[in-house]
Amino acid sequence: MTPISVVDIDYVALAPVIIVLVAAVIGVLLEAFLPEAARRSGQLLLTGSAVALAFLTVLIVAASRPFGPIAGGSLMLDGPGLFLQGLILLTSGTAILIMADRRVDPGGDAFAGRVSTLPGGEEEREVSRRGLMQTEVWPLMLFCIGGLLLFVTSNDLLTLFIALEILSLPLYLLVGMARRRRLLSQEAALKYFLMGALASAILLFGSALAYAYAGTIEFAGIAERISERTTANTLVIAAVALILVGLLFKIGAVPFGQWVPDVYQGAPTPVTGFMAAAVKVAAVGALLRVLYVPFGGMRWEWEPVLWIVASLTMLIGSLVALAQSDIKRMLAYSSIANAGFILIGVAAADQVGLSSVLFYLLAYSVATLAAFGIVTMVRVPTGEATSLEQWAGIGRRSPLLATAFSLILLSFAGIPLTAGFIAKFGVFTAAITAGALPLVIVGIVASAIAAALYVRIIVRMYFTDPVSASAGVASPSPLTVAGVGLGVALTVILGVFPQPVLNLVEQTSIFVR
Amino acid sequence: MTFLFWILATLSVIGGLGMLLSRKAVHSALWLALTMMCLAVLYVAQSAVFLGTVQVIVYTGAVMMLFLFVLMLIGVSAADSLRESIRGQRPVAVLVAVALGATLIAAVGNALDFSVGLQAANAEYGGNVQGLAALMFGRYLIAFEATAALLITAALGATILAHRERLFPRQDQRTRSVERFRSGVHPGQRPSPGVYARHNAVDVPALLPDGSAVPDSIPGPLRARGTVREIDATATEEVLDRLVGGAASDTGGER
Amino acid sequence: MSPDAYLSLASILFAIGAAGVLLRRNAIIAFMSIELMLNAANLAFVTAARAWGNLDGQVVAFFVMVVAAAEVVVGLAIIMTIFRSRQSTSVDETSLLRW
Repeated sequence: MTPISVVDIDYVALAPVIIVLVAAVIGVLLEAFLPEAARRSGQLLLTGSAVALAFLTVLIVAASRPFGPIAGGSLMLDGPGLFLQGLILLTSGTAILIMADRRVDPGGDAFAGRVSTLPGGEEEREVSRRGLMQTEVWPLMLFCIGGLLLFVTSNDLLTLFIALEILSLPLYLLVGMARRRRLLSQEAALKYFLMGALASAILLFGSALAYAYAGTIEFAGIAERISERTTANTLVIAAVALILVGLLFKIGAVPFGQWVPDVYQGAPTPVTGFMAAAVKVAAVGALLRVLYVPFGGMRWEWEPVLWIVASLTMLIGSLVALAQSDIKRMLAYSSIANAGFILIGVAAADQVGLSSVLFYLLAYSVATLAAFGIVTMVRVPTGEATSLEQWAGIGRRSPLLATAFSLILLSFAGIPLTAGFIAKFGVFTAAITAGALPLVIVGIVASAIAAALYVRIIVRMYFTDPVSASAGVASPSPLTVAGVGLGVALTVILGVFPQPVLNLVEQTSIFVR
Repeated sequence: MTFLFWILATLSVIGGLGMLLSRKAVHSALWLALTMMCLAVLYVAQSAVFLGTVQVIVYTGAVMMLFLFVLMLIGVSAADSLRESIRGQRPVAVLVAVALGATLIAAVGNALDFSVGLQAANAEYGGNVQGLAALMFGRYLIAFEATAALLITAALGATILAHRERLFPRQDQRTRSVERFRSGVHPGQRPSPGVYARHNAVDVPALLPDGSAVPDSIPGPLRARGTVREIDATATEEVLDRLVGGAASDTGGER
Repeated sequence: MSPDAYLSLASILFAIGAAGVLLRRNAIIAFMSIELMLNAANLAFVTAARAWGNLDGQVVAFFVMVVAAAEVVVGLAIIMTIFRSRQSTSVDETSLLRW
């Protein structure tokens, strides 16, 4: 009888995840033991310092640890994984700044004071009269970030599935916790939950088939088994198809992303920003690893599928975004379209493609966060002014905000001297090198459609007379200013001086197998 | 073994279809419980004794009970509407599902024709449970520990959504009674109408000892309709006379 | 019984679950269908574990049960919240969001 062997764990390499998850547990304890008045500041301090510390730890790990499997092979320490972890922590930190603001909404932060009270009831009024806040959102955020960090480094199908659930469960809850328009928010939570659980189930069944094919759930083992095959095996094709569908659900690609507009619209706006940025980064990261490492040997099978999905996603995302009258839905469709551009780089399936995707993720996520941060500031008395009509003439009343928003829209449109241009240029170049010229043509058409949309909004902000129901701009706290400012600044800096970051993504873009 | 498989496979598919086609959610839950029980036996038949047990305890014991609990809270009678909400959606959905099932069966139908068996794997650490433990606390330790985050999230989430803390002080009998007297509304029963009056009817107000009428003694709807009967002065005089000045034997004999 | 038959059974159950998600408008029944899909995946894992003669598949199936239990808690809590504020669990009556 073999004795049970103790697995050797490199705690330093694992430190970012450990810091975030332990901070989340401490946050739950703070809820139990801190008095009501001290909870918010305590949680903010804990959450902020945990994310900052984890970010520093990622840098230390990147500098000091040898690449390779860690924690018995459950996780993989390599360039893309560390880059994505750093990016997730950067975007999460920015999202936390925007989420912590309680000045733009006179009632408090973006979350319902007590989620358990009935919308419109006596208790809800009492809660807002007392100015109570649901501080449990901060531990939930930390759990979600911990899941994201695990998701992009997972090295077997089990860890992938569990990380997906760790990041999803807190999000299902956070989506349903908006302070304003609570019914809409709760329905968005239900929809997101059902779609997310369905995606997990599909991913899991695909994993089961992959295990049935390879006899192992480790990525390296699956890759080895695939490289040994001589004939096409239907089992592994079904496995790849299902895993791909499950991950594309999470990314929100057409035709699996119907939930995106509804959920993005219903969720509290800072959470929407977090989902559109950090969660999308992690989902794309996991997709990259799954496609490149275990199923890299099946490139010829999955590449055509990605071509079709990418084209549909870009075109439909851009076209439907044109028809939207709600700013959050418009940004949701715009994020779908951006997912399509990212998939172009994924489909290129080589090192150039990988580094272009990493850069695109950075450029897109900081801009998206800033965009949703700006949406939280434009308000009417009953909440955020989400109708595009109410944005008319914002440029005259608040030139600074309108300039920032225009910069971000120009970056989404891919105008030179913004990060979006360099990013789009990168994925298009990678696709041409990989021989995907038709995809690039579709991408350019979709960019043109999207550019028309963004220009229309800029025109509305500057050159349309304000209507009577027009929105005002709330004066934000320094937190939101810092978050949005960081996003806008990075958008410009990455557009003007992209070279250092381009060098960085080029160096990091090799998966260890 | 083959016989057992076909029985259980048929039963579990019947359970699945029953879940799919039952109109009432409770029936669906019970059908699904049947499928899960069959799967538990199929696990045991494939030398996964521990998993079979856990399946019964966790799935049929905890998960399905939770479903039934929520169904009871929501109301068992809540039946699903069978009306199509999007035209033509149902045939398309059936088609998609059948195509998915057929494709999957075609893909997996003869892909795995060997079976090593688990004797060697189980014997390595001295048994099925020991073997699972070796993996769970060894190779998959990170997954095991990360699951803790999941369970805490679930507990925290359920607490946030379901726990209503007391926002107003608890109302006991004393506070409620104090409040009733403070509010200034007449705290006790209203006087009944027609007392001391000649007409013993509900539309005649009661009289106070000084002979004035008590408007509250008339039911509200009658007052609102304005059909309250006046008390004429002579009658009042007469009553007062009898009460105060008249013979004691006459007081009760007016009727 | 050969593993193929078990995998086919798992596929059938998975397809039934998918049909449930697509067809049923009651959120609780849709959620039960997803549970059936998870069970189908578990059956495939257990079957493949026996076919390959290693216990990894059984470990995964065990973790899936834990994950499913946590997911059920969150999901039913969300459904209860919606029911309390709307008195209905039909997915169709999510009238505030356009489909």
